[in-house]
Amino acid sequence: MTILSNIDTVNNEPPPRKVTFMKAASVLRRLLAGTATRATLAVALALLVTAVLILISGKNPLLAYAALLKGAFGSIDRIAFGFNKSTPYILAGLGVALCFRANVINIGAEGQIAVGGIGATAVALSGLALPGLLLMPLALLAGVVCGAAWSGLAAFVSLKRGVHEVLCTLLLNFVGVLLVSEMLHGKLGEPGAGFPQSPLLPRAIWLPKLVAGTDLHIGIVLAVIATVACHILFWRTTFGFRLRIMGASRDAARYVGISSIRQTMRVMLTAGGLAGLAGGVEVLGVHYRLIEGFSAGFGFNAVGVALLASLNPLAVLPAGLFIGFLEAGALAMQREVGVPSSLVFVIQGLTMVFVLCALGLRGERSKV
Amino acid sequence: MDLMMIADLAAATVRISTPLLFAALGGLLSEKAGTFAVGIEGMMLAGAFTGAISAFVFGNVALGFALAALGGAATGSLLAFATARCRADQMVTGLAVNVLVLGLSSFLLRGLFGGRAPVIRLTPPGTWPLPWLSEIPVMGPVLFRQSAIVYLAFLLVVPLTLFLTKTRAGLTLRAVGENPEAAFAAGYDPIRIRMIAIVAGGALAGLGGAVLALQEVGSFTDGMTNGRGFIALAAIMVGRWTPVGAIAGCLIFGFVSALELRAQSWGLPVSSYVMQMMPYCLALALLAGVSRSARLPAAIGVPFIRH
Repeated sequence: MTILSNIDTVNNEPPPRKVTFMKAASVLRRLLAGTATRATLAVALALLVTAVLILISGKNPLLAYAALLKGAFGSIDRIAFGFNKSTPYILAGLGVALCFRANVINIGAEGQIAVGGIGATAVALSGLALPGLLLMPLALLAGVVCGAAWSGLAAFVSLKRGVHEVLCTLLLNFVGVLLVSEMLHGKLGEPGAGFPQSPLLPRAIWLPKLVAGTDLHIGIVLAVIATVACHILFWRTTFGFRLRIMGASRDAARYVGISSIRQTMRVMLTAGGLAGLAGGVEVLGVHYRLIEGFSAGFGFNAVGVALLASLNPLAVLPAGLFIGFLEAGALAMQREVGVPSSLVFVIQGLTMVFVLCALGLRGERSKV
Repeated sequence: MDLMMIADLAAATVRISTPLLFAALGGLLSEKAGTFAVGIEGMMLAGAFTGAISAFVFGNVALGFALAALGGAATGSLLAFATARCRADQMVTGLAVNVLVLGLSSFLLRGLFGGRAPVIRLTPPGTWPLPWLSEIPVMGPVLFRQSAIVYLAFLLVVPLTLFLTKTRAGLTLRAVGENPEAAFAAGYDPIRIRMIAIVAGGALAGLGGAVLALQEVGSFTDGMTNGRGFIALAAIMVGRWTPVGAIAGCLIFGFVSALELRAQSWGLPVSSYVMQMMPYCLALALLAGVSRSARLPAAIGVPFIRH
């Protein structure tokens, strides 16, 4: 596909001119070139369109956005909530960014998060006679392994049978989410609970709080560490180098002896592991139990975060925080102003379309 | 399993396949012209929304279907502009548009009706029993007492096949999906043709969504398509990019979903969640079986750049 091949072409030289282009267009194009500018512009445009929608529904968009801002940053608790919301998006978004960079369109984060959550819960509830400090990382590790297994399954079917990875990951999302329901109505379910959920996990393995007295758990620290690790992995290791070559051209990769099958498998396992970790963090840090539908929408947000970051691992961190706080704020906006929080999907969808269009249009220039 | 159960299952299969078939045929148009139809989920949902809302507000089912096609086409035109004109990645843009429609329909459902989602109850369109055929014992009444739109879905395959194989416009559309440079050299505008194909496909998928909302469910709820667009996508591939194949694909998936609904009442010792997984697992299994031998339109996914 095209999103990936022309993202980070270094453009020190001035863009070649074509007589037919108007000056304004060329200025606009140069503006679109930078990741930050592109992302800001896309978000601004999306917010503008959304403001019109709020206006149509008979509410004041300025008031709505003010409520959104206040809801996101209004108090320590709100900020803690925003960080917690961002954490799984950053973790899963990193994996998606790496995959997209290698031209592997993995949109299966949702299922991988779901299955990762199952793995973490299963270990947490296994009754292993271990101290909490040992069981907690073990549970997270189980999340990683299960998430990676789920993405590995998709990669296996895709590579072995030639089914496009988009369909494999998409279809397995549905299966993974249903698997959570199945487990909650079976082995992992809490008997007698009115809601499909697992029993409460033992307090000893809850993720510790980062700031006492708030809900902010250490997940965000894991997300920062993962971001730096992925940055190094992508820019400073042979694996990352191979991914970059593969993303630029499968043919080029083959000529220099890089097996795209092996790299695809590896990057999918990495992404699945990160998504599975996100699932474990949700379970151990936010809900303290497995609940039905806990991963809903996460997979799409991970893709949105990766795109907003222009598939640059380091930029995933701010992009994830943006989406996380946007959602946190939108929930408050719905309470305060009565504007439905589903508007967030509109903002995210539009932002993504704009970013994709900008990337697509930019691809032309690098080919001219 | 007696005869009545089989008949009942057959009727449910046809009923569930109909929205899938519209979506699959719409997606087929788009894919034949070289654009992956990941956005049909969103187009279906847009159709379900506009169809249900307009039928609810105007009290006219026919108008509901018409506006549903329009809603699907509008969604398609956004997708067409982004992918064909701006060369945005087809898969990911499709996904983004799906979520955009999910949010927009959910927002408008509340926003247009003063903050609370109205309870939409629709009377499904009346049935048209076909003369003679509906008199066939057992199977006749269940298969040939459907509403007009069901027959339309299955009959649509004939003109669509003829269009794609026998008409100049259809062959041009396919040429754009196989080799847009050659089509361009022959004097056609691949970007325009791809856009038209996506928008027309969107209208069909929108109709599919309307069938789901107006006839199968009789209401609109947030995200009601719930992956049906992706199943339709799988049906296109299982059917190897032919309209007749798409019917087969949709009937297979419709049958599995019908089984899923019936399995509960038959008291099979399988949990309902495992049954719900069946269509997706089957789609994956079928794709794994056919993908190697299937031949995609050669230029699918590749944006056309005019030099």
